[in-house]
Amino acid sequence: MTDQGPARSKGVSETLVAAATDAPRDADLAFDELYLSSRDDVYAYAAGLLRDRAAAEDVTATAFERAYRKRSRFDPSRGNGRAWLFGIARNAALDELRRRGRQAELVSDPVDATSPDTERSEQRLILVAGLAKLDPRERELIALKFFSGLANTEIAAVLGVSESNAGTKLHRAVTKLREVCDGAF
Amino acid sequence: MERSREYEDLAVALAEVRPAPREDFAAELDQLVAAGFPRKTRLGRLRAIVVRFHGLSLQRRLVASGAAALTAIAIATVVVSNTGSDPAPIAFEQHATKQSSEPGGVQYSEALPQVAGSAMESSAANGSAGALQESAEALKGYSTSPSTSLLSRATHRDIERSAEIGLLADPADVADDSAKVFSAVHDARGIVLRSTTTAGRNAGAHFDLLIPSARLGDALAAFSAIDEVRTRHEATTDITKPTVATGEELQDSRARIDSLLAQLSTAEIESERDAIEAELRGERRRAARLRSQVARLHQRADFSRVSLRIETGTSATSAGGAWGVDDALGDAGRILGIAAGVTVIGLAILSPLALLGLLAWLAYRLWLRTRRERALDA
Repeated sequence: MTDQGPARSKGVSETLVAAATDAPRDADLAFDELYLSSRDDVYAYAAGLLRDRAAAEDVTATAFERAYRKRSRFDPSRGNGRAWLFGIARNAALDELRRRGRQAELVSDPVDATSPDTERSEQRLILVAGLAKLDPRERELIALKFFSGLANTEIAAVLGVSESNAGTKLHRAVTKLREVCDGAF
Repeated sequence: MERSREYEDLAVALAEVRPAPREDFAAELDQLVAAGFPRKTRLGRLRAIVVRFHGLSLQRRLVASGAAALTAIAIATVVVSNTGSDPAPIAFEQHATKQSSEPGGVQYSEALPQVAGSAMESSAANGSAGALQESAEALKGYSTSPSTSLLSRATHRDIERSAEIGLLADPADVADDSAKVFSAVHDARGIVLRSTTTAGRNAGAHFDLLIPSARLGDALAAFSAIDEVRTRHEATTDITKPTVATGEELQDSRARIDSLLAQLSTAEIESERDAIEAELRGERRRAARLRSQVARLHQRADFSRVSLRIETGTSATSAGGAWGVDDALGDAGRILGIAAGVTVIGLAILSPLALLGLLAWLAYRLWLRTRRERALDA
């Protein structure tokens, strides 16, 4: 993938993930761990849903900031941390959708045309076009499952539905994606 | 089997087109996380406090809320305690009801202004006094001008006024207040019928006064200005009918005396003269009694009885003793009572507001959730 979005900061090249204090609290440690394991997944979900790289970055930053502010309210015994984080990210993404009122350009990076495996490249183009034909709810399910790697249980928690319902919806979304991909998969 | 492989192929293909964040963005986000998402504005700090409060556990939030509520109650209690000069509620009775206990007296009610010593009250008093003076003049003219007296009867009323006023004073101020009462009575050209002044722990004073009705309003205003007015009551009685009736009887008696004197001057028989003289003595006694009655009625109309009490509150620090345990307990009970009252009033005000706020918050959450879901359908 290539970086096509606007630069958001300069002179920052190293990853700094450290607790703010010398004696970090459990909530801080848990948040850091959650951040490290979920940063790219949250971005992938937001980008897959919004199809706008800059908006996805805003949503990702907003989601982690909100999660950071609320980190002490999260009770690990009451739910999965990733599901909690993606619930926050989903609200941020939907708020962004509401603000925009429209969808932006395709977010996926262009497929490398020079790839020796032309058949695979064609499949990717078809897949990207197929994703664009899905409605946002279906695309959200695909993003949660295949971009972010959430289990059906976590998807159900994020969407606020039962696990079986989440599985059914996901199956329908995959089926529709196959249909719009004209049998490429 | 074939279907499963197709699913896997789709999963692999989707993983290949999975969006990934730019390195710059990732680094910037890493830095923000490391810095704990620093805030930039004062509003942000306020929001940080709110978020931090939300981040507290339920127990800590309850403790913080309770502490805030206690602080608010304490502040409100101090404010309420300092607002009133006496924390204990004083029944301030200040009304005037005109009534008549005289047989045949006219009974009516009239609301007087409820401002002590106000110009309106003074004006009303002066107007009443003017009527009394005119009524007295009318009575004086009964013997010579009946028609004038009848006109006066039709246009003027004889009003007897009385008043009771209670002042609340510090025990140390009773003597000074008593002196002011004497001074005010002197200024009003009134009469102190009886006075009792007690010093010490149960200090107080009582005065029975006669104040010219024309100056009653000014006098009451002066009394009210001496110290805090605890109670005030004024009463009026219309004594026009008995005054007029007595005056008419006196007029008849004088006419009878004149008639008897005329008969006496023409009587030639000794026994007849004795009988006329006996009747004349009786009629003169009756005339004297009627004149006395008329004079008393005039005095009742011209002078108002005022009963004035100076009392000391039990809460005030006694002049002879120091502030003690009883006073402390009393003060503590009063403060607790005020605090309880403030709490009840606060709850009465805040409970509906809190309920409305909760309903509004729930409605907002529902509305927001609906709007977010609709964003996916757009």
